[in-house]
This record gives sequence, structure tokens and C-alpha cells, in this order.
Amino acid sequence: MIYRIRHVTRYEYETPVSLCYNRAHLLPRDTNRQQCLSTQIRITPTPVYSVRREDFYSNLFYYFSIQEPHRRLEIDVTSQIRVLQPTLNFDLDIGNSCARARELMQAAVDEETLLAREFCLDSPMIRRNQAIYDYALPSFDDERPLLSAVRELTSRIYQEFKYDPGFSTVATPLNEVLEHRRGVCQDFAHLAIACLRSLGFAARYVSGYLETLPPPGQQKLVGSDASHAWFAVYSPGEGWFEFDPTNDNIPAEQHITTALGRDYGDVTPLRGVIFDGGSAQTLEVSVDVTSVAES
Amino acid sequence: MATQLSADTPEMVLNYPRPDTFYDEVYGANGDTRQHWRYLLDGLGSLGADGLRERQRKAQRILRDDGATYNIATAGLGSRTWGLDPVPLLIDSEEWSRIEAGLIERAELLDLVLKDLYGPRELIRHRVLPPELIYSNQGFLRACQGVQIPGEKQLVLHAVDMVRGTDGNMVVIGDRTQAPSGAGYALENRSVMSRVLPSLFRDSQVHRLSLFFQALRRKMASLSPNGDSPRVVILTPGAYSETYFEHTYLANYLGYSLVQGGDLTVRNGYVWMKSLDGLHRVDIILRRVDDTWCDPVELRSDSHLGVPGLLEVARAGNVVIANPLGSGVLENPALLKFLPQIAEFFLGHDLALQSTQTWWLGDPDDRDYVLANLNKLIVKPTTRRSGEHSVYCADLTPEELDEVKRRICDDPIHYVAQQTNLPGSSPSWQQQELLPRATVLRSFAVADQSAYSVMPGGLTRVASSTEQAIVSNQLGATSKDTWVLASEPQRRVSFFDERQPSYREDQTSDLPSRVVENLFWLGRYSERAEAAMRLMRTVFIQLNSPAPLPEAVRDLLLKAVTQVTTTYPGFTAEDAPLDQPENELLSVILEPSRAGGITSNLQAMLNCSEETKEMLSADTHRVINDLRDELESLPQFLGSGLAAAPEEALDPLVTTLLALSGLTQESMIRGFGWRFLEMGRRLERTLQSTALLRSLLVPVLDDSDQEQVVETVLLTTEVLITYRRRYRTRPMLNHGLTLIMLDKTNPRSLHYQIDLLRQHIEQLQSRERSPVLSDEHRSVLEALTLVQLSRPDELANSDDEGVREALDERLARIQTLLCTAANAISDRYFDHRSGPQQLVQTGWSEEP
Repeated sequence: MIYRIRHVTRYEYETPVSLCYNRAHLLPRDTNRQQCLSTQIRITPTPVYSVRREDFYSNLFYYFSIQEPHRRLEIDVTSQIRVLQPTLNFDLDIGNSCARARELMQAAVDEETLLAREFCLDSPMIRRNQAIYDYALPSFDDERPLLSAVRELTSRIYQEFKYDPGFSTVATPLNEVLEHRRGVCQDFAHLAIACLRSLGFAARYVSGYLETLPPPGQQKLVGSDASHAWFAVYSPGEGWFEFDPTNDNIPAEQHITTALGRDYGDVTPLRGVIFDGGSAQTLEVSVDVTSVAES
Repeated sequence: MATQLSADTPEMVLNYPRPDTFYDEVYGANGDTRQHWRYLLDGLGSLGADGLRERQRKAQRILRDDGATYNIATAGLGSRTWGLDPVPLLIDSEEWSRIEAGLIERAELLDLVLKDLYGPRELIRHRVLPPELIYSNQGFLRACQGVQIPGEKQLVLHAVDMVRGTDGNMVVIGDRTQAPSGAGYALENRSVMSRVLPSLFRDSQVHRLSLFFQALRRKMASLSPNGDSPRVVILTPGAYSETYFEHTYLANYLGYSLVQGGDLTVRNGYVWMKSLDGLHRVDIILRRVDDTWCDPVELRSDSHLGVPGLLEVARAGNVVIANPLGSGVLENPALLKFLPQIAEFFLGHDLALQSTQTWWLGDPDDRDYVLANLNKLIVKPTTRRSGEHSVYCADLTPEELDEVKRRICDDPIHYVAQQTNLPGSSPSWQQQELLPRATVLRSFAVADQSAYSVMPGGLTRVASSTEQAIVSNQLGATSKDTWVLASEPQRRVSFFDERQPSYREDQTSDLPSRVVENLFWLGRYSERAEAAMRLMRTVFIQLNSPAPLPEAVRDLLLKAVTQVTTTYPGFTAEDAPLDQPENELLSVILEPSRAGGITSNLQAMLNCSEETKEMLSADTHRVINDLRDELESLPQFLGSGLAAAPEEALDPLVTTLLALSGLTQESMIRGFGWRFLEMGRRLERTLQSTALLRSLLVPVLDDSDQEQVVETVLLTTEVLITYRRRYRTRPMLNHGLTLIMLDKTNPRSLHYQIDLLRQHIEQLQSRERSPVLSDEHRSVLEALTLVQLSRPDELANSDDEGVREALDERLARIQTLLCTAANAISDRYFDHRSGPQQLVQTGWSEEP
């Protein structure tokens, strides 16, 4: 399947911004389930300096700065991506048990596991604590296969938490999400990652898109898609496996990855510093995911 | 030998008895004085206690005059003069060559570690280092992956803290790899010691420090990413940084510009310094700002010390930062535990210079050991963080120990423990005698071509008391010069390497505009303070005059105090205590929170002088020091109220301010800095005089009262004597106005001051070719003309309302014009951009 994704970000400032420096994680990367065929990025006003780079986690990012005064910033990214059908529909009930996975996490000496240990640690936006551990524990019996336990955790978050875009912001602490049982995809991904890390497993954050299908018989609305987030867990010797707690499923063809990191902070779509611009700003984001061809 | 002197004259004896510390620098294992100490101890012995005390006083005086301070976090700016013990630490050349080889080897190894951690991370892949040790460390900056600086070495500067180990050899207790401090203090110590103990120093054949700084300059020049004649700057966090003195000192010594984050800006993919005549490209940044604070775009987003966009310029290779961003990862003390294995991995052998034994709590075996032996250990966090210090567990109560245990068990990977051997001792001069004090040596290495050059010696610090095993400047430790004794006399080498391409440019573009702005305000605040003090002195004299002061005159004078200092409402309030003015007057003088008051102006002025420290000469530092002392003792002087000659309390301050202005006239280079300082002065003096004239001379009083007021004005503006000589008559308003407003020969007249200001503005403008006058030029010309066109006789006339309307109008217009000029100057030359803000406010903490 080939998708065409258009992601437009618009900022409007109260007063003109005289100077800005930004780092955008908006260019989809290649993964073992997808190949990025092309990406165009168009920024208005035109940056005086811009460069595409690879970050620490091999994600692509776009660094740019604008020196002309502007009240409006628009970043328009269009990408074509081939998503591959997962080669093997993995069986959740075989593979490392929780106890075995935890033990191998520390004992295995292969490079992949050694490097994955980074994702067992706390990260700036995800701190383990007792409440999170207590919430996670019931799904992770020692003898149970790890992936089946993670699948159950994914379902529990889906069932027990309410999707509520009005509740959280990018600054909402995980504990509040847990306490109020509310949040958005980013919060649910963070929560699942925190649960897994609190038990000694490696888990990472995945940002990307989800193709949404209109209700039967209706036309799809332009701009109705959104950027999305889910997580992946590492099972030593077996690799990384993705889960989507917001939709209670296993990412497959309709999930398109942009970037991977320890948490949202590593892959923030747009971060940066502006000079002037007043105190208020409005942000508008529109995403369209369209399938263009069968592969 | 000093230790064998008889005790006939106790005052003269300088004895250093053998201490019971496990190792002392002076005494060998058998109790004999080590050979290389004998000459110095003999010399100090013949100097005697009195002599040494005198030399120390001299040393402290020089340090103070040099402005050598170490800022204590809790105290004000320029808070503490750097402490120097007049007894140096001696190291013989044989031992030093062993230490030096060890330091070079260590710097080379850490350079390899740095390249690996931000490159292939073989140390993790090959299980030399546990992944958690690196990945959990806040000094490991993922955004710095792949940043490369020119040359073979990535670690440019390396500093090491060493103490004596149990076997008497030096062992390393910590590495400094971000922005090591201390090299400048070592240099200052050396310069002071060679002055206060000149013959001892000369005859001891001490290795010179200048070669190290020569290597540093050579290295900096070689790092240029943009061709020859690179512009090098030193990036300082600012005047509140504890080691700010050193930044100013090194900037002057090395000939680099000293800048703060706000002085730099990133444009078109390069770094630029904002100076008065525009932007100048910066090629190399020698930084004294810690890694994470350097760029709010990609590192700590709440930092105001850095330069937004800096990291990307470094990544693109358009600026070189030394040490490179991310090098703080090497400061993790847990690395000390793994250095032998790392050395084995990279070099195939262990290091010659050992590190102190270190346990990492992230390792289960280490954790068991540490928990069982906690009371013998020091616990340190793996990253230096504000508010978290090393804990000496031996000093703790059982409850406190439990608390430490809980903390390290909750978060083991972020802690290490080290042995608490008391450091070895060396003799330290403590008021009356030589006493043993715990001693730590910080040494410095700089990458030089393909190897490292080590400073011979370094900065020695000694604890302030016997009990103290912790040697910390924040805790009052003092410092020593370190003498590495050569076996033959040292050749004098010139610091400036003739082979280097010389780099000169006119002074203007080397000054960040912030410095110039501070000089401008230095001028303004000192004039404000002076004007307020002059008026205050006159008021005191009048209030305490033998003949009772007529009420109308008194009220007018007191109101003038409020108006000139702008400390409203003060005496202009409805219910102002005009018959009991003492408290309000004292408050205007002493209260730092009363903006416009004397203390407040002087403090603002002192802050400006800190910000421009590198521009000021030693003489100027001395004057500024006096000013600070006098300001501090002012409350004492006035503590007993205003009863007896209170004006005398202000005299020394006025005199010191005059000394300061004399120094700028006589010894300051006529560059941008001087010009703006002068413009600030001229502007402010005119504004102050105008305010004074409006307050005192616009209201009409009875004839005799009027005379007294005119006399007061003449006294305050320092022309009373001239007036008497010239007019030989009672004080009359029209003559007074002639002298104060129009007289071209009176350096305090409005005409004189505004005309000087005009000349400065024209000089600045001559660089631009446009025939259209600037706003400030136009305003000043108009003000000058208004003064010139004044007819004192007319201005002295009053209307029916009891007010001199014409005079008031004229003076008010002049004030407005000068304020317009001041704003125009500020808008044109200084940076008014509001601070940067984050595009996305996440609110989460940057520190995991």
C-alpha cells in the first residue's frame, strides 16, 4: 500500500516574530515495515537556513531558521510512503515469557539488547513510580508470554481510559493521566511505556499517522486525519513489537511511522525558539492520509 | 632550616612541626624535610612571621586591586576577594614529570572516550561500559551526536583534581571536561606571588606557566573553521558566575572578547557578535557556560545563558566550541571505576595515574559494598546538579544515613561512592603560624597539535580548617600557587608567539554592545549619585546652619531633594514631615530599594562596573573597591542620625566618584567604550542640573530667602567661589543663571556639558555619511541653541503667580530634548530585543 500524507502546521502570532529557530520531526523515516519514497517540505516564509539531518535515533529532522518578520508560519509536508504488510502475523502466545525477557534484558550480550537497555530507563517525560508499577503488574505474570501480557495492557488502557482531547496538554504529567483515567494517544503511549519500564522492559515511543476510514457510505473529510502515537516493546532476541493503546490494536498497514524515541520530547513535531511574537499564538494542524495505490 | 630555629624571639620564629596526617608534602616517611622544600622553608624562616604576614597583606591588596574575586552564590556581586596563601605548594621536577606523563595519558584516553560516546559507542557494544551508565547520565547529550571539531583531539581542555593517595602518589578524584575553571586563578596567583616573594620565587627556579597559555592560544587559532585570523570569544554566564573574575582576566590575558549569550546571535548559519557597528562573525568560542545551558533550541529550553541556534552552527561546522558541547559526559564520576578497563580496551594497558577507588551504585556488588560500608564513604551524584552535593557519610547521624541509603537505593544508577581518605596536607599560613591543611591540586592540559600540553603546576586549594576534609571554594577554601621546581634556571619566554598571524582590528568591533551600554549607564548612574550627594550635602549644611533656616527655604530644599532624586512622594506629599525631615533624608540616602536614592544609584553603578570589569584598569578597580567599602560603611556613619556634620559622611563618596571620573579622563582609551561612558555622564549631568534649577529657582521667594536659595544652588553646583570672585556681590539670580547655564568656561554649566555631548554625537555620526541629522543630534543641537539664546535677565523675571514661567518653560524643554536624545542613542546603539521564548511550552523538567 502506498500512502500520500500531507501534514500542514500553521502558527499565527499576536505580533510579528522577528527571528526563529526550529527543529521539526515531520519527515517520516524508513522502518522495517515502511519505506519513504519521497518527502517535500515547504515553509513560508522561506527560511534563510535549513538542513535535513538524522538524529540520535536515526530519525530525520528538519532544522530551519527564519529571519524575516512574520506573523504566520506555515510548514507543509507531503510524503509518499510504501507500507509493507507485516511479513509474519506474529503469535502473541509464543516467545519469551515475562520472567525470561526481564532476565535476558540484563544478561544478554548481543548489541541489539545492550542498546535497547537505553529504553528501560526513565526519560524526561516518562518517570516510573509505584502507582504506575501497581497498575501494570496484574498483566505481567512471570510465566506469561511477554507479548500477550503487553497486548492485554494495551486493551486495559483502551478500556479503562477515556479518550479526551480536552483533558490533557503536552505538559500534563503521567500521574494525572493515570489518576483521572483520561488523555489522548500520546498520554496512552507514555503510560504504556512507563508501565513496561517500571517492570524492567524496554519500550519506546512511536509517532506517526493513522489512516482513518469514513463511516460506510460517507465521503472522507479533508484534514480529518491526525498525527498519532503508539509504542513498541523490546523482547530480547526477538526484536521490537508495536502496540496501539488508543485503538486497542497492533499497528499494521494503516499505521505510518514518522519517528521513534524515548518519549514525545525526542520527536516533538516542532520545537524551537522565537523572538518577539507577543504572548498569544494559535496553532492549526491538518493531516490528510490518502491511499494512492496498491502495492 | 626553619624547623631548627631556636625559639629565642617567638615573634620571629616560623616553625612547621611535622603533622600527624598520613602524608605531608614537607616531611618524608622518616621525618626528614624533603630536599626540595628546604630552600623555601629557609627563606620563609628568615622572613619570619611578621615578614610573612606583611607579604600576605600585600598579596591580598594586589588581588583586591586586580578585582580578583570569587562570587559566593548567597552574597552580592564581587563579594569575596580571592584568597591566596603565601606559602606555595612545591613539587620537584622528577615527580612532576611522572605526574605530567600521567595527565597526558589520561587526557588522551578521555579524548578517545568522548569520540566513542558520540560516535560508534564501542564501549557499550563491547560491554566495557554498562549502557545505563551513559544513557542515564544527564551529561550525555543526544543532540550532540556527530558534532566534530577540526583536529585530531575533540577534548581541547582537560582539568583534573588530585590528592595524595595512601602510597603517597597523586590520585585523581575528579575530571573537569566541560569548561574547566581555575587556570586563570593559577595565573593570577603566580603573578601575585612573583611580586610579593620576588627573590624566593626567582631563586627557586619555578617552571613558567606562560607556555601553557601559548599552547592554548595556538590551539584556539588552529581550530578556526573559517580560515585565518579567526575571531575567538570567551562565553561567560555573566557577572553572577562564581568565577567571573577569571573570565575577565583570561579574556584580557589572551586578547579575546568576553561575551555573554545575549551578545551573540545566530544568523545565516553562523554565529555573530553584536557590536556597535554591526554584527561580526565569531569563529571560535571558548566557553565557560556548561553544556546544557548553551542552546535553548535543542538543549535546556529554559536557559537564558546560551545562544539560540548555537548547536546547529557547531554541527554544521561553522563555529567551533571548546570544549565541544556534550563533553560534560566525561565528568561522570562513575567513569573512574571503569577507567582501567577502558584504558585496557583502547590502549592495551592501565593508566599510570590512578583514580580514587569508586563504587557505582548501579552495579549490584558495588551497591552491597557501599550499603555495608556507608559510614566510611562519600556519596556523590553522577551529574553535578544545583542543590545536590557530595555527602560525607562519616559526619551523619543514623537517621541521616538511612535517608542517604533510601535515596541511593531509589535511584542507584545516579550515584557513586568514594573512599574518604583525608587528603594529604601541606603547610598553610594561618594568621600566626604554619599549619597543616588538606590539599587538592587541580592541573590543566590543553590539546596541542597531536598531543597534550600540561600546565606545570596548577591551582592548589587548601581547606580552611583542620577538620575540613572537603576543599571547596564555596566553603571558604583558600588557594596556593604551585611551584614545579626546575633543575636549572628557566628561560623567560614571551607569551605572544611571533609565528602566529597577528590579528588586529580597531577596538570598536571587539566590544559587545552590552558592554558599551553598561559603560553608558555607568556614566549615568555615577552622575546621578554625585548630583544627589551634592544636593544632600548642601541641604545638611543649610539645615544645621547656625542661623535658623527660613521655613520657605527649608521646604523648597527638601522638596528639591525629592524632585532631583525622583524619590516621590517624599517631601512633596500632602502630609510630608517637613519639620522632621531626618527619617526621610536617611531613607533617600540609605535605602537600597528606593530607586533614585543614593545607595540605589551607587549599587546600580557598581553592577555596571562588574559587567564591564574587563574594560577597567587596576587603578579603576581600586577606586571601585573604595567606593564599595565606603557605601558599605555609610549606614554606620549615619547610624547616629543627622545630628553632627552628616555631610561629612558623604564627602569620601563624592571624592571617590571624582577620582573615578578623573581616571576615565586620564587613562581610558578613546574608543567606543570611553565615548559612551562620557555621553552618559554629559547627558545625566545636564539632566540633573536642569532638575535642580527647576526645583529651586522657578518658585519666587522673598528677597532674602531668594538670595539664600541662589547661594544654595551656587554651592551645590560648585561655583559659589567663582561667583563671589567674579561678581563681588550678593547672590543674584540673573548672574547665577549666567554662570550655571551659559558660561563656557564653567565645566558644570549647561552650555559646557551639552556642547561636549554634541561633539561626541558628531564624532559617532562622522562614521555615517548621510547629511540628514540623527534624532539625538537634532535634539542636542536644539537644546544647545536654547541655552545659547537664553537671556538671564528675562529668565529671572517672574509672573504674577509667583513662578518664573519663562525659566521653567526653557528648562523643561531642555530636559525633554535631552531625554529624547538619550532614548534615541539607546534605540540606535543598544540591543532591545525581548528574550527568546519557546514555541511549545511543555513544562516538564529537562532533567530525567
